[in-house]
Amino acid sequence: MPDQTPDRPLYILLCSGEHEKVQMAAMMASVAAVSNRAVEVFVSMNAIFAFRKDAAADQRYRGGDFSKILKDKKAPDALTLFEQGKELGDLKVWACSMALDVLHWEMENLAPGIFNEPLGLTKFLSDAEQGQFVTL
Amino acid sequence: MTDKIKVDARGAFCPGPLMEMIAALKHMNVGDEIEIWSSDKGSAKDIPEWVKKVGHELVSNDEREGYWSIVVRKAK
Repeated sequence: MPDQTPDRPLYILLCSGEHEKVQMAAMMASVAAVSNRAVEVFVSMNAIFAFRKDAAADQRYRGGDFSKILKDKKAPDALTLFEQGKELGDLKVWACSMALDVLHWEMENLAPGIFNEPLGLTKFLSDAEQGQFVTL
Repeated sequence: MTDKIKVDARGAFCPGPLMEMIAALKHMNVGDEIEIWSSDKGSAKDIPEWVKKVGHELVSNDEREGYWSIVVRKAK
């Protein structure tokens, strides 16, 4: 029998631009979303640069030793995983409105097909009170 | 008459095989089966766990030479 108990929603605060952390956020978000779990991701600080529109992979993902391995082995692309999570599950991705403001970025500066809309941290934290909260 | 779809995800890393299987399941009819080949060790446990969680049916899970053959029946 499948487990019919609704899981607590998963809220991921993604601040780091390190490839390894962006990759883990994408893996967690996509797998949880396709497993009947509501997921919301709030992208801020250096992490927002990984979502820049039209960036080459080398510029998009910067990290340490494991980042090189992920690239060499052609691990699933983090942005593709976010897209799949949205397409196949209940995944919402928010762009930090403060980050966009200080960068003078609009939604058009971000990779298409991933973000729902800009959101403030206060609203995200309020929504996250009833869920499981992960910071990367 | 049910269909059986095959997906060769050998060489893909976690969670690639699972995501490929789910994407294919979306376009299948209830009762259809999908056989996915994965060389990712985690898939042998991750895919059955996902199947159990969301309520599909695991038909088989066999280790072959260097990969796993996992058959799932779409149940809903």
